[in-house]
Amino acid sequence: MILCQHKLSRSNRDKLQQFVAITGASDKNALQALKASDWQLEAAFDMFYSQPQPRSNDPYSDMILAEGISVLCSDLQVEPQDIVTLVLSWHMNAATACEFSKEEFFGGLQALGVDSIGKLQEKLSFMRSELKDEQKFHEIYNFAFGWAKEKGQKSLALDTAIGMWQLLFAEREWPLVNHWCDFLQNRHNKAISKDTWAQLLEFARTVDPALSNYDAEGAWPYLIDEFVEYLYDKSVVEK
Amino acid sequence: MSNQKKRNFQIEAFKHRVVVDPKYADKTWQILERAIHQIYNQDASGLSFEELYRNAYNMVLHKFGDKLYTGFIATMTAHLKEKSKLIEAAQGGSFLEELNKKWNEQNKALEMIRDILMYMDRTYIESTKKPHVHPMGLSLWRDNVVHSPKIHTRLLNTLLDLVHKERTGEVIDRGLVRNVTKMFMDLGESVYQDDFEKPFLDASSEFYKVESQEFIESCDCGDYLKRAEKRLTEEIDRVGHYLDAKSEDKITSVVEKEMIANHMQRLVHMENSGLVTMLLNDKYEDLGRMYNLFRRVTNGLATVRDVMTSHLREMGKQLVTDPEKSKDPVEFVQRLLDERDKYDKIISTAFGNDKTFQNASNSSFEYFINLNARSPEFISLFVDDKLRKGLKGIADADVEVVLDKVMMLFRYLQEKDVFEKYYKQHLAKRLLSGKTVSDDAEKSLIVKLKTECGYQFTSKLEGMFTDMKTSEDTMRGFYGSHPELSEGPTLIVQVLTTGSWPTQPAVPCNLPAEVSVLCEKFRSYYLGTHTGRRLSWQTNMGTADIKAIFGKGQKHELNVSTFQMCVLMLFNNSDRLSYKEIEQATEIPAPDLKRCLQSLACVKGKNVIKKEPMSKDIGEEDLFCVNDKFTSKFYKVKIGTVVAQKETEPEKQETRQRVEEDRKPQIEAAIVRIMKSRKILDHNNIIAEVTKQLQPRFLANPTEIKKRIESLIERDFLERDNTDRKLYRYLA
Repeated sequence: MILCQHKLSRSNRDKLQQFVAITGASDKNALQALKASDWQLEAAFDMFYSQPQPRSNDPYSDMILAEGISVLCSDLQVEPQDIVTLVLSWHMNAATACEFSKEEFFGGLQALGVDSIGKLQEKLSFMRSELKDEQKFHEIYNFAFGWAKEKGQKSLALDTAIGMWQLLFAEREWPLVNHWCDFLQNRHNKAISKDTWAQLLEFARTVDPALSNYDAEGAWPYLIDEFVEYLYDKSVVEK
Repeated sequence: MSNQKKRNFQIEAFKHRVVVDPKYADKTWQILERAIHQIYNQDASGLSFEELYRNAYNMVLHKFGDKLYTGFIATMTAHLKEKSKLIEAAQGGSFLEELNKKWNEQNKALEMIRDILMYMDRTYIESTKKPHVHPMGLSLWRDNVVHSPKIHTRLLNTLLDLVHKERTGEVIDRGLVRNVTKMFMDLGESVYQDDFEKPFLDASSEFYKVESQEFIESCDCGDYLKRAEKRLTEEIDRVGHYLDAKSEDKITSVVEKEMIANHMQRLVHMENSGLVTMLLNDKYEDLGRMYNLFRRVTNGLATVRDVMTSHLREMGKQLVTDPEKSKDPVEFVQRLLDERDKYDKIISTAFGNDKTFQNASNSSFEYFINLNARSPEFISLFVDDKLRKGLKGIADADVEVVLDKVMMLFRYLQEKDVFEKYYKQHLAKRLLSGKTVSDDAEKSLIVKLKTECGYQFTSKLEGMFTDMKTSEDTMRGFYGSHPELSEGPTLIVQVLTTGSWPTQPAVPCNLPAEVSVLCEKFRSYYLGTHTGRRLSWQTNMGTADIKAIFGKGQKHELNVSTFQMCVLMLFNNSDRLSYKEIEQATEIPAPDLKRCLQSLACVKGKNVIKKEPMSKDIGEEDLFCVNDKFTSKFYKVKIGTVVAQKETEPEKQETRQRVEEDRKPQIEAAIVRIMKSRKILDHNNIIAEVTKQLQPRFLANPTEIKKRIESLIERDFLERDNTDRKLYRYLA
């Protein structure tokens, strides 16, 4: 056995480490699974999970939780708060941040056309580039709302929202983003609704930062109207 | 008998031509020519019509129609030229007379000549399509006399001169002028227009231009209008007497333009005499004259109406925003009613009830009444005052008049829901204190409100009346089943259904023992017959009548509020009480308690309690005792005040807040209703539709509507369209 281990190629050893970290299986079981699936990570997972394992009643046993994600990130050599994790979650259609279900995880890998962590890592720059695509950014942005909010809550906590906005608008410049965040902290102090979240992107996309084409009758959410007033008040923009 | 040949008879034509005497035509013409001369020389008596006719007839028959026609023209022309010279020679006034005389002669002559030449008229002229004799004669007169250079201009000037003289006050020979204008008309409408009417209108225009300028510098508005009216009447009269009827509209247009249209603005805005002055001073006659004159010109009435509207709005605005005037609500509303009456009278007396003016007046009232946010409250207070005492002793019909006027003001309100809230509060106080002058009047007003606003507006108000009635029955039942309670204090309970009455938070308060026992008995009695209901005593709304004996034996019956009763009863067991003790014993909240003590101790004539120190305000260290020296010339002394008063600032804020809160569900209901039927609608249209739907109750704020839409989106009643963010979709 040990002999075999020494003979493992670097990529296979990586795969082994990944498998163990993610499934929590023993080295022995991991190796077995991987060998049996011909070192295809996905197939190995499949097999591993389909076997009757001594399982707890923990509904999270089919999930990758915060720890697992942090391992995943370090393997990918990205910070957990790197926006690329959002893109990854989007590909996985993850329901909520800091957890991946089995379906989500595999679905995501499949969508990206990868079957190993190594290949996933290679896809990182592609995923970053997706943020520059107008249409995809739009989808990722709107996805982020549901993903970032607390499970069971309808609205997004203000602090989280501000954090997300700063992250997102670092990728796609919006000159008013800081004013927006200041305004929210000083004047609003409440959670952000889904409609407001979505409409903000429209606002950032379509209204020019000098507000020359802002239409007061433009069906903008009230919060955005208030923001415009705030900008006039603070003389950030001339009326 | 010998054989005879039959011979056919044949009529043969003349074998030789009958040669008409070439001189025949000339000879015949000479006869006729001479006859024409004689006719013109007034010497026709010796002529034989039959002979002349035959001569003319023969000429035409022998194909000399042409000669006859040209001869006629030549002869007549020559005569007319002569006549013309005679007319030209006439001096001064006789010029027109000569012309007239010669014209009459011409007409007679022409008639005779036409008769003589009748056959030519009907045959030769028909076939050659030349002008008939009569029209020809007129044309010849026109060309040779009227248009003769020496007559043409002189004639016109003479006529215009006469008109001018008449306008400046002289008397002229109208008949003469009439004949001349009639002559023009006979010569053809275009002759009348070109040779007389048009220059006449131009001259008139000049005349009135000058005159109006003179007047406007020297007269005030009322005077000027009188003069303008007079001139107008004169011109119409002039036309009737010596111009053609068709000139009437044209000359009146000239007067209207010069005297009115050109000076419209200046007249209306004239200082100290213009429209505004007339309105302020109820100058019905002047206003009526202005209306009648201005309606004749384009934009005349619009000008008057606009000035009236802006004056009304300005005055109204000052009226409602003047802090002095809004001190007393009843006076405030009375002023509004007075203004309404004033303008009603002006519009009906002077402006012929013109609907556009009524509308302008209504929109102005609506504008400024709503400038003061307290108008709904004040109108309710006005009604309250009337129903409490103002209508006492007034006949039913007059009561209706007052209520109808109030309804008129009510209709102007944009925030009818605010009025409803106040009205409910005030009505509650009236009902509970039994202080209404006339039940019929109350009910009548409710019916009017129902007619205006629908059942929902008044259902709660009606509920209040029902509760009062039901309570009476309940009390009877209570005392009926508890005969032992007829000794001891009498309790009268009004049971109010929570939804119908203005909401008040229940205020804690410890009732005196005698009272609370009774109350408990009532409670059990009531809940015995109405299981499943909950009763809570509204101690801040009750009253009590207490018999009191003061130090010197003075007996009085005090009518007080429930709180005041609780305080006073304490003094049955203690001579002196501190503020804190009173507070503890009664558990009445501090602001209410302080107000209560103030009304018992600090009001002159009602101070049944003495306070140390004798300051105006209640301090927490104060001490209280009964005022043994209390006197009043009345046995019954009323101390409690449950009268509706103008709200204090904080109360006003609170009411306003409640109104705003109540509006939110109404707005949402409207949005949902509209979206349910339309399924998809864009933002601006939703705002418009919602505003329209809610307009009978209040003016919906677009920002508030927007917030409600967002709330509905949040709750998944609506969603935005994927492609057009301004569109909303109803989610079933």
